Amino acid sequence: MNRARKLVASISTLSTRRRTYSPSSTFRTISINSQTHHSSRRESFQPSSSSAKPLWLRFSGREFSSGSSDTTSSSVCWNCGFLSEKAAFLFCESCRSIQPIDDSVDYFQIFDLEKKYELDAGSLEGKYKDWQKKLHPDLVHNKSQKERDYAADQSAKVTEAYRTLTKRLSRAMYIMKLNGKNVNEEETITDPTLLMEIMELRETIAEANDSKELDQIRSQVQEKLKQWSDSFVEAFESQRFDEAVKCIQRMTYYERACEEIVKKL
Amino acid sequence: MMMIRQAAKKALGLTSRQSTPCSVGIFRSYHENVIDHYDNPRNVGSFDKNDPTVGTGLVGAPACGDVMKLQIKVDEKTGQIVDARFKTFGCGSAIASSSVATEWVKGKAMEEVLTIKNTEIAKHLSLPPVKLHCSMLAEDAIKAAVKDYKEKRVKTGGV
Repeated sequence: MNRARKLVASISTLSTRRRTYSPSSTFRTISINSQTHHSSRRESFQPSSSSAKPLWLRFSGREFSSGSSDTTSSSVCWNCGFLSEKAAFLFCESCRSIQPIDDSVDYFQIFDLEKKYELDAGSLEGKYKDWQKKLHPDLVHNKSQKERDYAADQSAKVTEAYRTLTKRLSRAMYIMKLNGKNVNEEETITDPTLLMEIMELRETIAEANDSKELDQIRSQVQEKLKQWSDSFVEAFESQRFDEAVKCIQRMTYYERACEEIVKKL
Repeated sequence: MMMIRQAAKKALGLTSRQSTPCSVGIFRSYHENVIDHYDNPRNVGSFDKNDPTVGTGLVGAPACGDVMKLQIKVDEKTGQIVDARFKTFGCGSAIASSSVATEWVKGKAMEEVLTIKNTEIAKHLSLPPVKLHCSMLAEDAIKAAVKDYKEKRVKTGGV
């Protein structure tokens, strides 16, 4: 019994000590940062033409507008019934019991990052490792089965968040999705310049025989990826979303080409 | 041609002819028609793009990074498609869909091939729902090829 109490206590000190990870201060930290340093960038994220209110806006709306409250984002603890204004991630503030996944918490929130495309890969990895330490199965083994299941779900979500945010292409698509622009539509494209280029690229890869040649092609494609990644950032931040989608499409093609090269190597 | 086939075979895991077309259990299997188009690829290749009797359809599926080129050779007098070639970089279903498309357009009039629907291709290959867009890509490729041929004819002053 004492051991359990100690364990719970240690987990809770872990959470409270790391102020950036507990839900309440995460919320405040992000908005404070944005208000003081990046207010202009915040405004640039307001989508001009989308009709659906994106998740992101809901999140900021609570901070800036006094009246409207978004009931879907508040959470009630299943254990003690504590009603929280914001979505609880991982722990209930009141009784420290593990919460089920809340879909309104997005991947950037999990890692306490600003919702923008550029991020520091090293710091993302560090935060990911910290999370995995907290969510380690051994820390929850004496909790109820229900909580262990929740912890497993949370851990899976953190891993998925990490995987999505580490790769440029998936990060780009995710950030577009958060802004209500779904990129992955099954539409056929007929842009002759792009398709011809990709066709030639894939043919070159198919015909290349030694690894030196393939490495050369690969570095060329990586160059292009970087170039289009930068174009994406520019287009996205200037809210030229159609152009941003085109950048993502190109990046998808180059990524596929890279995968083919790797398969051949 | 060999490269595409080898790459495609590797992608499907069909490097040795051990895989059975109909496997039980949770493993996804390719329909025997799809495998057939793999082992015996028909019409892989290219025509000269600048040949006035050739129409080239170049389409892509950005969601999965597929690119498909379908070319038709038309008899100018009768308006019938006498030959077709394709080159596709993509998954097995995309390759098989374009292969089927080239088979089906041969010997038909241009107006007739415009009525080929992706659902027919998908049914012939028993494509799962997640691969339906591959057959759609093939249908779009046929239309693009016909369109290209017609535009070329207009440019050269033909009918």
